[in-house]
Amino acid sequence: MAMLSSTLPARARAPAYGGAIIGLALVAMPVLLLGWLILYPILAAIVETMFPVGADGARGFSLASYRFFFSDDYSLANLRVTLWTTCVCGLLLVLVGLPIALYLRFSRGRFASYVQALAIFPMFVPSIILSYALIRTIGPNGTVDLVLNALGLPKLPTPYLTPWGPVIGLVWDNLPLTVLMLTAGLGQISNASVEAARDVGAGPLRVLVSIILPRMGNSLLVTLSFAVLGIFSAFTLPYVLGPASPEMMGPFMERTFSDNNDPLNALTQAVISFGFCLVFGLFYVRSIARNRESRR
Amino acid sequence: MNRRDFLITSSAVAGLSLMPRLSLAAAGAVDAYCGSDKNVLDFWNNTVLPGFAKAYPDIAVKLTDAGNNNGLRAIADRGLAALASKADPQADLFETFDPLLPKGGIEAGLWVKASEVKGHERVNPLAIDSDYSLPYRGSQVLLAYDTTKLAAKDAPKTWEQLVAWIKAHPGQFVYNRPDKGGSGGNFVRRAIHEVNGRDPGAFTVNNYSEAAAAKMLPPAWDVLKDLAPSLYEKGAYTAGNTQSIQLLAQGVVTMVPVWSDQVLQAIHQGVLPETTGLVQLSDLALCGGFAHATIFANGAHKDGAMALASFLLTQEIQEAVISELGGFPGVSWDHLSDAIRQKYADVIPASIPVFPSGDWEKAVNDGWYRNVAPTISRS
Repeated sequence: MAMLSSTLPARARAPAYGGAIIGLALVAMPVLLLGWLILYPILAAIVETMFPVGADGARGFSLASYRFFFSDDYSLANLRVTLWTTCVCGLLLVLVGLPIALYLRFSRGRFASYVQALAIFPMFVPSIILSYALIRTIGPNGTVDLVLNALGLPKLPTPYLTPWGPVIGLVWDNLPLTVLMLTAGLGQISNASVEAARDVGAGPLRVLVSIILPRMGNSLLVTLSFAVLGIFSAFTLPYVLGPASPEMMGPFMERTFSDNNDPLNALTQAVISFGFCLVFGLFYVRSIARNRESRR
Repeated sequence: MNRRDFLITSSAVAGLSLMPRLSLAAAGAVDAYCGSDKNVLDFWNNTVLPGFAKAYPDIAVKLTDAGNNNGLRAIADRGLAALASKADPQADLFETFDPLLPKGGIEAGLWVKASEVKGHERVNPLAIDSDYSLPYRGSQVLLAYDTTKLAAKDAPKTWEQLVAWIKAHPGQFVYNRPDKGGSGGNFVRRAIHEVNGRDPGAFTVNNYSEAAAAKMLPPAWDVLKDLAPSLYEKGAYTAGNTQSIQLLAQGVVTMVPVWSDQVLQAIHQGVLPETTGLVQLSDLALCGGFAHATIFANGAHKDGAMALASFLLTQEIQEAVISELGGFPGVSWDHLSDAIRQKYADVIPASIPVFPSGDWEKAVNDGWYRNVAPTISRS
């Protein structure tokens, strides 16, 4: 590539020769880190679980740990609740994040920046602090109950220690990323097209459905994949706010590994979780690739 | 600073804070690691280490917070690997650890025998559970309750009364998951003791077998499943000791099992009101647990670590365990001063039932998750 570019007239800013090597060197670090800290452990986990050390000390091909996982009601219930939480959270994040992002995209002024600051705020709150704060607010006899009580209204059933506890926490925690990414996606929609639609008499709903949403597909997909990847592997919030059983995969893996001292099954659970996340990862990579292509 | 710069900077800072903290073992200093709660770490920094520096001015100690038991386990694994390759494990003493881990550690000679520590003969025999660990502080699980809702004279004193009380007051009792902080775990173990003739001696580190577990544990699951509908939210279990205390503090429940040291501290700090009552079951107490220090046989500063370990058993530290930490001493009570013995006469347990760690613990925790936790009916 360096050879090729040296025969072409150099662009104003890119150095013709040496740039490629520096570029490769810059990319090498993250690629090496990716290989060392992510790809290698994944491959090692797959090999470890599919070729476990048998009773005689020799490695042999066996899918017993996977068979156990998929025939064990307890493990399957945990997987189900993880998928359920992920789906519900993903849906709620879009429902909550999209209106905020739309508002931020189309309004100017001081108030909008306050809203933005407020929407980004959860990013800077560690989830362990959030969990205890949520117990204090939406937990039993928490702030919400106190306010309702002061107004003479009955207490609400608390989501604490039910599957809805982690849902509320995770939506709160993931909202900033969702809003940021959706706002970025909305930024690609030109004012001209929105105004053109308005000129021919389209109402706000029409503009949303016919102009904005069709162009948001990609960024919605990207946002969802990011949110799903984070939520699927969440640990602290489901651990503190969720029920003892069924538990989400994060706490389940941790418990299998450290309490049960059972690395093989913990690895198996990790590989299975990874398989589900891979699907969303592929969505993400595909939509990025498509995006690049369409820009060419 | 524009928004983009701000986001880049803040994410870089956030990323940095996630990097594993490097802890380089100091040359010449005894490397001690603590995986316990913050209050224990404070106790070491404010009481144990200054006292040790005074008693042994020529031995330096470097105390590192390993975060939790998993952090210690990683260091122990490293120590075992170092033993095989005759390298320096860069670790000398663990504040509390289970010498049964890592697997094969004892056989390989990773740990020093506790009886080699000077002063070992004064250790309370009730507290010893392995030859390779040194019990130096303990605490016991009690029941804490709200005296404004339950008068002290009506507080349950036996397991039967407790079960009857829980059933008569649905939603007013909660215990935490047995693997997440021992207060709930020891409540579960008390149920196991109850269905096995109230004999803590029936469970030892070495008598675990799958057949024994299959015979001895299921009756306890039935007892606990029977209780579940009467618990808070018809069978919800908090995720730790602190959350149980939080529910008691918020007036949500009337009674929770708690660690003695934690509840004394909570009352002292005002987290729990002065109206909090404490009661221990008199037919068989709830289990206690001791923190067992372990010493690496291959540590570079083994002699210093042995001195530190024997310093833990001195009267000075053992009395501080009671007065500063709210715990029990690891040595027998007759090795303490009369004044302190009389002052804490109420807290001195007549017996401290213990439950073995290792395979039994694993069976109890996982058995509870599989058998008791899922039967939640929230209708």
